[in-house]
Amino acid sequence: MSVPDLFMLGALVLGGAAALLVVTARNVVHAALYLVVALVAVAAAFLWMGAEFLAWAQVLVYVGAVVVLILFGLMLTRAPIGPMAQHNENRKFAVAVSVGLFALLMTLIVTTVGDATLDVTPVRVADLGEVLYVQWAFPFMVLGFLLTVALIGALVLARREEGEGPLPDEGPDDARDERERAPASSDVTSAPGSGDAGQQIGAP
Amino acid sequence: MPTAPKIGLLKGLGLTLKTALTPATTQQYPHVKPDLPPRTRGVIALMEENCTVCFQCARECPDWCIYIDSHKLTVPPKEPGGRSRTRNQLDRFAIDFALCMYCGICVEVCPFDALFWSPEFEYSEHRIADLTHEMDQLREWMDTVPPPPPLEVGAAMPKEVQDGQRAAAKAVEEAAEAARAAAEAAAQAEAAAQPAAEPAPDFDQETYDRLLAEGKSERVAKAKAKKAAAKQRSAAGGQPGGSASPQADDGGSGSPQAGAQAAAAAEPAAEPAPEFDQETYDRLLAEGKSERVAAAKAKAAAAKRRRQASEGSEGDQ
Amino acid sequence: MESILTFDSLLFTVVVKVLVIVAFFLVAALVVGYLEHKVMGHMQDRTGPMEAGLGPVKHGVGQLVADGAKFIQKEDIIPRSADRWVFAIAPGVALVPTLMILVVIPFGPGVWAENLDLGLFFALAASGVTVIGVLMAGWASANKFSLMGAIRDAAQLIAYELPLVLAGAAVALQAGTLSLVEIVERQNELVLFDTIPVWYGVPQVIGFGLFFVAAMAELNRPPFDMPIADSEIIAGHMTEYTGLRYAFFMLSEYAGMVVLSALAVVLFLGGWYPWPGADLPDGAWGAVIGTVTTIAKTVILAMVMTWARATFPRLREDQLQRMAWTILIPLALAQIVVIAIVIVVLP
Repeated sequence: MSVPDLFMLGALVLGGAAALLVVTARNVVHAALYLVVALVAVAAAFLWMGAEFLAWAQVLVYVGAVVVLILFGLMLTRAPIGPMAQHNENRKFAVAVSVGLFALLMTLIVTTVGDATLDVTPVRVADLGEVLYVQWAFPFMVLGFLLTVALIGALVLARREEGEGPLPDEGPDDARDERERAPASSDVTSAPGSGDAGQQIGAP
Repeated sequence: MPTAPKIGLLKGLGLTLKTALTPATTQQYPHVKPDLPPRTRGVIALMEENCTVCFQCARECPDWCIYIDSHKLTVPPKEPGGRSRTRNQLDRFAIDFALCMYCGICVEVCPFDALFWSPEFEYSEHRIADLTHEMDQLREWMDTVPPPPPLEVGAAMPKEVQDGQRAAAKAVEEAAEAARAAAEAAAQAEAAAQPAAEPAPDFDQETYDRLLAEGKSERVAKAKAKKAAAKQRSAAGGQPGGSASPQADDGGSGSPQAGAQAAAAAEPAAEPAPEFDQETYDRLLAEGKSERVAAAKAKAAAAKRRRQASEGSEGDQ
Repeated sequence: MESILTFDSLLFTVVVKVLVIVAFFLVAALVVGYLEHKVMGHMQDRTGPMEAGLGPVKHGVGQLVADGAKFIQKEDIIPRSADRWVFAIAPGVALVPTLMILVVIPFGPGVWAENLDLGLFFALAASGVTVIGVLMAGWASANKFSLMGAIRDAAQLIAYELPLVLAGAAVALQAGTLSLVEIVERQNELVLFDTIPVWYGVPQVIGFGLFFVAAMAELNRPPFDMPIADSEIIAGHMTEYTGLRYAFFMLSEYAGMVVLSALAVVLFLGGWYPWPGADLPDGAWGAVIGTVTTIAKTVILAMVMTWARATFPRLREDQLQRMAWTILIPLALAQIVVIAIVIVVLP
């Protein structure tokens, strides 16, 4: 066993253990943190297989964004500290699905790949770009278009319609300011007359 | 909609940059002493000779931090057959600066100018009880009391100074008249071949010098010298044939010497004496005294020298 | 070019690189922290620390060393209801990503630990991980202020990570590479209108501004320090921390200033070249001049961050979010489009 093989084994063991802890942890936040370890282990595995870009993308997207969103959502809603009873009625069902899915995937991988050896020459980003933006440019653009549509859709859904209730900041305060400003300006127009009267009294 | 960033952001950056490039106003306090104005409320000093134990300060003090003890003293009559008087002798005067809130009411109410503010402020202690300053300590703070700041241009003279100047002018006139009278009297006396008795001095120079040499402050020495002179006078007054009456020196109503003295007082700028004794200042600084204490003592030394010089010129006359 | 820290023995190389990076990390954080004390002091008409010194050199140069010694002596308190393990390792999780970015930053010709093909991508990926440490700290403290600070921090990081990444992407687009070393080299070859040699900071001045503002926001530097706003939520995620663990958070802030400033220098200000189109001598002299240049530029940028801190009042939470989503991100997207078009149109 060579050194890279040992590292690979370590990453797999760590990732596997973390993944197991994700589903068995008594605390949702702990589960999310174990997920970080599992995802980093997967990134390490990618790295040792020469997929540098994939590894960093894994870190950037999954660790830096997805897990953060999960934690963010958990903490915004409810995230009690300490163990809590997991009232999960579907435990048995979930175990069955997991084991079944694992068996299916393993069967597929073993039958298709078999005992073929993996070529671990690192992939250059330039080559990756060539493949993505030249060879598969059209599907890539379609994907991008799809994501943009989804993004705009999300914006439309999240946006409040006119009169649907003010946003916390720009609603009542600004409106009240407007209202207060209007009478103030009318006062100003009537002000010169009273000002003149004052001057006449004061003049002699 | 968010408003677009305006020029104010850059103005702010400019202001901080300008501030950064100008020297900071920080005073490096323990290394460099702060330059405090003369009326700073640092510590309260006591001029015990002026205190008459009237208790006004202790009564007015809002937090009762002034402690005064005294006893009555019977002063023997000045003249034989006179009435003996009583006066208050100060036994203890203490200010608890742990209680004091530096309101300055005691200094304001004192009718005899016995309490003064000093800018000295470095008297923290490890034990709170040590913050009660007793009479001797309060007396020491007197050395650090700075002279009053000069009057603003156009401001009226304080009443007591006006009174003093009027009195001095009057004294000069009277002295001149007295000199004329004295000359006549001298002529008469010469004619009568009767030498006029010398008036007793109101100030005992010997006592004054001795006390100064003992390290007493100038004021103490002066007061005690006056006391000694008074004692000598009363002793002399008891003797028969002493024609010089003690009243003779109360306002220059007779002797030419008194007139000269008053004249010297009325023209103080005859000989410009230094206001500041550099030698004393340097010596005290070298001894590790604070700058302000040294300055105060140097000024006191200069004043002493001036006084001695003017007395010397009086002796010549 | 090989890194000058590469030796024949792999193990020795790894050890040397780790030691050099950690040492630089600590020293740089101390130096920048000290300079911030002094610069901010003078901007506020003060002198900053003046007493602590190293030997005869006073002017507070030893202040942060003394602070460190103080932090070590302090009692390490973990609140009773805190989640002990998460609480304990959170400062490390916040600190390590900053340390990781240093691995790829080139300081001079040959003066880098690792010239990754994907250096920029790696740096941006690592900088996004810091927030997990903050979230861990805020949640595990069992303190409502900590949790609110952590949530604010996470929201801020998600919002400002985008303009940061997009501004970096625009540079990668213009340079045609993600390797930080090559970005510096290409940048030095850029000549505007065939006459004026410039760095990417000139054509991409908007991107530079976006990157810098987003970097300040990522680091919770004032005026973007709402997550640790002392007047509202004490110290945010750091509220319950004491001693060395607190010092770790402070260290990661100052080291983050250094790292992101250095990244901005590499991306927009020509890296180790003293002026646009400069030519450094080969060998040791080139390395020395280049390293000094990079560090000088980095310190200047870090001081600009301090300048902003001393000048601007803190942005409110809604202003923070609105600034990111309605100003910075649209600007960054528009800039990428413009850069892409210009690069395609111009040869």
